Amino acid sequence: MRAVALLLGAAGLVTAQSSDIEFFERRIRPILVEQCEVCHSSRLAEPMGGLRVDSREGLLAGGASGPAIVPGSPDRSLLVKALRYSDPVLKMPPSGKLHDRAVEDFMVWIAAGATDPRTGPAQDVSGAAEEGSGPGTPIDEGRRWWAFQPLAERLSADVSDPDWTIRKSDTFVLAKLEQHGLRPSAEADRRTLVRRAHLDLTGLPPRYDEIEGFAADSSPNAYSDLIDRLLRSPRYGERWGRYWLDVARWAEDHPTSEATNRPFAHAWRYRDWVVEAFNKDIPYDRFVRMQFAADLLPGFEPSDMRALGYLGNAPVYHKDRRLSREVIETIASDDWDERVDAVSRGLLGLTVACARCHDHKFDPITAEDYHGLAGVFASVWPVGRPMVAMDAKEAQRLTWEHERLYRIKGVYGNLKDLDTVAEELHAEIIAMKPEYEALEKELAKYDVPMTPAVIDCGVWVDGSTPTVTRMDLRPGEPRDLPVFIRGNVANPGRTVPRRFLAVFEQGEPQAFVHGSGRLELAKKIVGEAGPLAARVWVNRVWGWHFGKHLVRTPSDFGTQGQKPTHPDLLEDLAARFVANGWSLKWLHREIMLSAAYRQSSRLVEEFSKTDPTNRWIWRMQPRRLDVEAWRDSILQASGELNLAMGGPSSAVDSVDPARRSVYSTISRGRLHPVLQLYDFPVATQHTPQRQVTTTPLQQLFVLNSGWIQERGRGLSKAVDGIANRSERVVALYRRTLARDPTDRESELALEYLDARRAEVGREPWEEYAHSLLATNELSFLN
Amino acid sequence: MPDDRISTRRRFVESLCGGFGSVGLAAMLRDQLPANTADRPVGPHFAPKAKHVIFLFMTGGPSHMDLFDPKPALKTYAGQRPESVDLRTERMTGGLLPSPFEFHRHGQSGIEVSELLPNLGGIVDDLCVIRSMYTFNPTHTPARNLIHSGNIAATRPSMGAWISYGLGTENRNLPGFVVLSPGARGGDLWRAGFLPAEHQGTHFDNAESDPEKMIRYLRNDKLDARAQRRQLDLMQALNRDHLDRTGGDAYLDARIRAMETAYRMQFEALDVFDVRNEPASVRDEYGETPFAKGCLLARRLVEEGVRYVHLYYGPGQPWDDHKTINKNLRERCPDMDRGSAALIRDLKRRGLLDETLVVWGGEFGRTPVSEAGDGRDHNPYGFTMWLAGGGVRGGLVHGATDDFGFQAVENRVSIHDLHATVLNQLGFDHERLTYRYAGRDFRLTDIHGTVLRELLA
Repeated sequence: MRAVALLLGAAGLVTAQSSDIEFFERRIRPILVEQCEVCHSSRLAEPMGGLRVDSREGLLAGGASGPAIVPGSPDRSLLVKALRYSDPVLKMPPSGKLHDRAVEDFMVWIAAGATDPRTGPAQDVSGAAEEGSGPGTPIDEGRRWWAFQPLAERLSADVSDPDWTIRKSDTFVLAKLEQHGLRPSAEADRRTLVRRAHLDLTGLPPRYDEIEGFAADSSPNAYSDLIDRLLRSPRYGERWGRYWLDVARWAEDHPTSEATNRPFAHAWRYRDWVVEAFNKDIPYDRFVRMQFAADLLPGFEPSDMRALGYLGNAPVYHKDRRLSREVIETIASDDWDERVDAVSRGLLGLTVACARCHDHKFDPITAEDYHGLAGVFASVWPVGRPMVAMDAKEAQRLTWEHERLYRIKGVYGNLKDLDTVAEELHAEIIAMKPEYEALEKELAKYDVPMTPAVIDCGVWVDGSTPTVTRMDLRPGEPRDLPVFIRGNVANPGRTVPRRFLAVFEQGEPQAFVHGSGRLELAKKIVGEAGPLAARVWVNRVWGWHFGKHLVRTPSDFGTQGQKPTHPDLLEDLAARFVANGWSLKWLHREIMLSAAYRQSSRLVEEFSKTDPTNRWIWRMQPRRLDVEAWRDSILQASGELNLAMGGPSSAVDSVDPARRSVYSTISRGRLHPVLQLYDFPVATQHTPQRQVTTTPLQQLFVLNSGWIQERGRGLSKAVDGIANRSERVVALYRRTLARDPTDRESELALEYLDARRAEVGREPWEEYAHSLLATNELSFLN
Repeated sequence: MPDDRISTRRRFVESLCGGFGSVGLAAMLRDQLPANTADRPVGPHFAPKAKHVIFLFMTGGPSHMDLFDPKPALKTYAGQRPESVDLRTERMTGGLLPSPFEFHRHGQSGIEVSELLPNLGGIVDDLCVIRSMYTFNPTHTPARNLIHSGNIAATRPSMGAWISYGLGTENRNLPGFVVLSPGARGGDLWRAGFLPAEHQGTHFDNAESDPEKMIRYLRNDKLDARAQRRQLDLMQALNRDHLDRTGGDAYLDARIRAMETAYRMQFEALDVFDVRNEPASVRDEYGETPFAKGCLLARRLVEEGVRYVHLYYGPGQPWDDHKTINKNLRERCPDMDRGSAALIRDLKRRGLLDETLVVWGGEFGRTPVSEAGDGRDHNPYGFTMWLAGGGVRGGLVHGATDDFGFQAVENRVSIHDLHATVLNQLGFDHERLTYRYAGRDFRLTDIHGTVLRELLA
């Protein structure tokens, strides 16, 4: 029992023990802050009863009735008397008696000496973060963690069968297999391999003639030529860009999309930039830097502005201006928290958001680190910015005019029901409508494409008007945040300069000095923390190729995450990835040319007993296609797929035109039911990897939906010029499964059509075509 | 007539399914192997009192002072604005607004209930009325997130998802967590969050009576059952050949079985989801409104092994009475009163009330002061919820608000306390029902919550 330990441990101690402080922080301080400081704080000009509970001195000095606490003597402490509600007059808090457990906590705390790290008025202390027990791992020790080490290429592993290996990475895979008494599987057959490569790199299966052409190509370079060809295809960026959009939790609206957080205009422009960036193989380090600060980088092109959508499309929560400053500040701090989380887990595999309320319990990350990062996000504001070349001043003006329009319209929508707001605000609110309407008209005259982005601008919350809370935006002025003790904005501690995580810095972390610091942050992520960023990215890419990651917790490389199954492989690959200019296309080649990747996916009974999860990669991991690849495969088979790239999104079940799935509308608040059904992640926060479920409700869609029946009709139409029934079946197989039917499959087809003709008087080819689209084979990657 | 249609169809399906249909739905469905990749459920930490939860959710925030928490002082001080009611809520408010509704004592417990709720008054000895609820946010969306998921942000798993994760489902062919809501607004409220996606709530539209309209893609409008069976046989023959060629695979196998299940669900769900199969006397007791049908359907689903049913009263925010509250309550209460009370009586008759915890309430309450003259604003400081069944004491009033009903002052109960108590009844220590995500263990109650032991039987 903590309380007992505390009582024993506290006796005779001069300096506070961390467990005492933790007890204070966990059990005592929150109640003082939430229940007492409203009336009894040194921040008030006249605290009630003269009592100030926001410092140790204040409690000892007490108020009009005498000292509030007598350390060591709960029974003589007025505070305890008040909390117990036993006195006829002295009862606190006035809103009702606390839980018995809370009252007991106060008694235990006072009995143990009332350890209280707060020394001055509340504004001057930073709480547990600074004076408490420190993070789970001290920073110096934390630097020794494997994931934070510099990258270094490794020597190839010694293996007994070097003939099997093709690339250097194979030696590491084979060494592990041998170590565990396993053997690699044989190479997959040519047809499987070409289908795997196509689906993997482009998200579309190869057509029949592409498969047969590859199967017949005996040149030794056939396979590597195939990989090169696919990497040059624009379909590649549509596939791999979509993976990135999962990491970037991209969507086109907000979780609730109310008056003050209406959906983004042109959110798709970021998606298009991502697709293009993958096709162009922009080096990953630059790719990251651009998403924080494209506008501040050398070589900036106006269309690069779209890259800022990574921050500009981030989820924002509704801020009802009628709420108090504390509530609005809390919601704003939730917005910043989302950015810290998405950036740290997505790019660095670190759970920095754990350090919001206290130092990280396990990793070398402090609450100050957290607030140093969060300050960057409190110093940027989402805006639409022009993505064409224009005068810088004019661009600024246009940006802020658009922002003003968005904000006034939002606040008007929020407050337009005048019954609900104070009378003194009515005139101001009424005036907003003509103002934004005029602005709307004015801005409509400009034919300048705008894209969701961010701009340097400190964000404060202004509670100076008692009846309405305003956002106080200060363009060009960054905001350093105080440590919000226990994550509570009403309890600010010491202010932390905007800066990067201390564990990556030599010596004292340097404060960011340029604007919000977003460019400095991006540089640190792929600079000082570059080895970690490279590991995290290489691990993700490996996982998308193999269906399983080397580090099975792809967004947690900290002490609570898993360690890599193949440490040397990950180190070597990440080191060479960086050495090869952070080129993703280099990495694809390296992985896909390996013998490990080319293995058959066939189950080997013997190995599946010793290694059921295929941890050691004794075969290629077979898997279900994700919803994008599955849907696109069906549309390609039915001949309806429209390969036009880019532009505004359309619903995933829309077929007019039937564009690739990457161009589907993605909503945070109302994700399309078909996407929900097939495990598409909800983009309100970063998702480490997709779940895969196989449910009856999915099969209802496959069996019954009008959408899939229509695709069957389209498919049957595409072959209805073929008179001979057997030939028509062959044509359908080539379109859907890119192969010829077996004899038995042909027989089944004809039997089915005969039976149906007997029942309905005609051969319903569309039903048969639907059956082929519904097969396991089409939805399966092996 | 509908009954005939169903039974004819059912016999027909039985003939096609080779005898499947001759076994009861529940038995058949329960025998099926899981058709997904679910991990085993965590399982309770100790012997549970309840196996199911039905949450009757009054979206918008119903007025406790007009329904369950009589405040005679409002009459005495009508129109006035004493200092103690000067709490900031979302909108501008006026003076104290008395309730025009009479309160009467009911049952052996003598609990006072508004004249608007005669049926609930009649079963008040089964209710545990908590008059001292409070929440942390005065706005709908964050407060709704809080009561659904223990946090104001729209990211955490919903309580139903936690319970599905903790207990799994008794019936693999129905979702463990069912959401009944007329229209589909607020889909993110029944999210699985970071829990595996299978624990997400599955939504059905209880404004519809016809299961074919309630369940997406349930009906094949091109093929009759026999033709569909033939088509499915073809698909499955192709799938089995493919499975043989690949040498076995868990996903391929699971999909073959899921497809079979889906086919049968088309017909079986017609039974389970069709409240028209209930005797007329039962349907009459509940009423005919969407909410009443939802209550009846909730009972049928619980009977079939669904763990958690979350029933929303109406689309949008029906209890959000910023204006003309008295008129609105007169229109809305009869239906809510009749359906909720019928549910409790029906569960009790069938011996299901002991193992089913029913929870009633909204995201917050309403102010004792008026808004726009004849309405009431949101009130997070104090409001009423009630529990019934599931090992909770009936005929009990717990806690109290101040003289006007503004703030909970006695035995205050937070949303986290409520969650902790619900989990406790299902056999979970709320501090130990955790999920490791993003580097730490998350739980429904975050770092809060105390089980309300004084409410337990």
